[in-house]
Amino acid sequence: MKNEYFKIALRNLKSRSLRSWLTIIGIVIGIFLVVSLLSLSEGLKESVMRELRMMGGDLIMVFPGKMSDMMTTMIGGVELDNRDIEAIKRAPGVDFVLEMPWMGVSVRHFQKTEIALIYGISFSDGLPILNENMGWDVVSGELPRPGRREVLVGNLIPKDLFPEMVAGDRISIKGREFVVAGVLRSLGNRQDDLNIALDLNDFREVTGKREGSPMAIVKIKPDHDSAIVMEDIERELEASAIRRRGEDKAFTVMSSETVTDMVENIMGVIQLAVFAFASIAIIVGGIGIMNTMYTSVKERTKEIGILKAVGAKRKHITTIFLYEAGIIGFIGGLGGVVLGLILAFSIQIIMAGSGTMFYLEAHVSPFLIIFGLAFSVLVGCFSGFFPARQAAKLEPVDALRYE
Amino acid sequence: MIRLENVWKIYHLGKIKLEVLKNVSLEIKKEDFVVILGPSGSGKSTLLNMVSCLDVPTKGKIYLENKDISSLTEDELAEVRGKKIGFVFQQFNLLPHLTAIENVVLPTVFREVDHEEGVKRAQKHLDSVGLSQRFNHKPAELSGGEKQRVAISRALVNNPEIIVADEPTGNVDSKTGRHIMNILKKLNQEEKRTIIVVTHDSELQEFANKVIKIKDGEIDEK
Repeated sequence: MKNEYFKIALRNLKSRSLRSWLTIIGIVIGIFLVVSLLSLSEGLKESVMRELRMMGGDLIMVFPGKMSDMMTTMIGGVELDNRDIEAIKRAPGVDFVLEMPWMGVSVRHFQKTEIALIYGISFSDGLPILNENMGWDVVSGELPRPGRREVLVGNLIPKDLFPEMVAGDRISIKGREFVVAGVLRSLGNRQDDLNIALDLNDFREVTGKREGSPMAIVKIKPDHDSAIVMEDIERELEASAIRRRGEDKAFTVMSSETVTDMVENIMGVIQLAVFAFASIAIIVGGIGIMNTMYTSVKERTKEIGILKAVGAKRKHITTIFLYEAGIIGFIGGLGGVVLGLILAFSIQIIMAGSGTMFYLEAHVSPFLIIFGLAFSVLVGCFSGFFPARQAAKLEPVDALRYE
Repeated sequence: MIRLENVWKIYHLGKIKLEVLKNVSLEIKKEDFVVILGPSGSGKSTLLNMVSCLDVPTKGKIYLENKDISSLTEDELAEVRGKKIGFVFQQFNLLPHLTAIENVVLPTVFREVDHEEGVKRAQKHLDSVGLSQRFNHKPAELSGGEKQRVAISRALVNNPEIIVADEPTGNVDSKTGRHIMNILKKLNQEEKRTIIVVTHDSELQEFANKVIKIKDGEIDEK
């Protein structure tokens, strides 16, 4: 029997379709914002986390400078020098310190010359660690070996920088000849996929930089707690810095866990903010529903009187009005979800094509869709509740007399 | 069947106290055809609202089949209306966006009658007033007389014992008006339904077996 009320409600909405659609659009906008922004931010979080997960739990990263002004340190070229590296090695529990200096240089492949970022990494010790702990592997060719003047090129080098490059090709870096041993699989962001890895010794020779690295990756010994090792590294670095210059040199030591926590926190705040702003849009949409429904109660006073005269009770009137508000909410939610998904996936496609820093993916959880729909229906019913009650409370005699 | 005992209806409009019905007592028996006759402003519509369970009195008692309805809640009154009373209004009061048959089915929805059964009943009643060809027309596409016949069908769809008509001939021409009145007369004589008609048109007296004249809120005993 209930679906009769549903039919009546639907009929009522159709009989004033322009206003119904305008009200629906109000909800569409809110749900659209929630769905598109949340699925994109969730996707961003997912892709950052995926990169971080590649990094094993027993790896620690060390940067010079404070975390708060990391950009200054990076752009200003502050580096860890050999004595810093030695200090890190002194900390108990440190198995291996992997230096990773980088530099932009000109690279020639056949007739084409491009500027590319090269970085040095020990092929004998460092590469196996990355291979084991961060899942570095080749998609073609093989991992390079030390002492053979081989390089490992990033995943996008053969696609974007030097088309048709294959493993075994020769390239010239600052006038020195190297062989492309293999192509690395994608590391998850465009920047990293456009780098070329050299053995650390080759890197020093090519660039003429005898020491220094903007960062170091530390592998800790098994059975050591990364938190304690991190503290020890910090202490050693501070001690060494004070001995040398008598001044405080700041360092940032972090594990993949601290980075993961940080990213989760930042993304959590962003998602909360996104949700808060989108909620405002939904509330405005809800007020729109309430407005429409109140107007509708006023306009249909006589009609409500007729319904009551022919035997409708309060609950029947309430049901009809709540159905109307709920339908507006539901259709608005449906529209918002569909548009939100379209936008999220369009952005994903545009971002993938435009070659920005991150491979941004829209991450759509079924929860988000269900939540979007349920929330919009709820907002609809809530907004419809007071108008519905007002309608139900009308006295039949007064309502019938109303013109 | 319906009995009013010392019924008062008083409206307060700001400081003005408006006595619309003053101490009205009357009785309507089963199978009566009653015409309540009075000029505009006489309180006859208010009286009809009382008789038809649309409104409750300020003072006094109303009995429907010996049951006191003057103290019922609004929902209980709605229940009584849906079950026992069919309405025919001067303005037809059909829902404009529903078709003729949907308008007729409507009261069955609130009685929680099965939809197919409701449609069947609606068809039967529309057939009997000669509107077989008008099922799917909306009120705007019907003439005044057709609208009133749809309204009569709607009034009958829950098979009520009482039909209440407020100026049923007020918005149609006199020929159609007589036709409408004849339908009501037939319902009274052949189907033994109690008919109560409110009007200012004294010509309608001829259809009644009982005439109640009302003037200034009081029964005019002549």
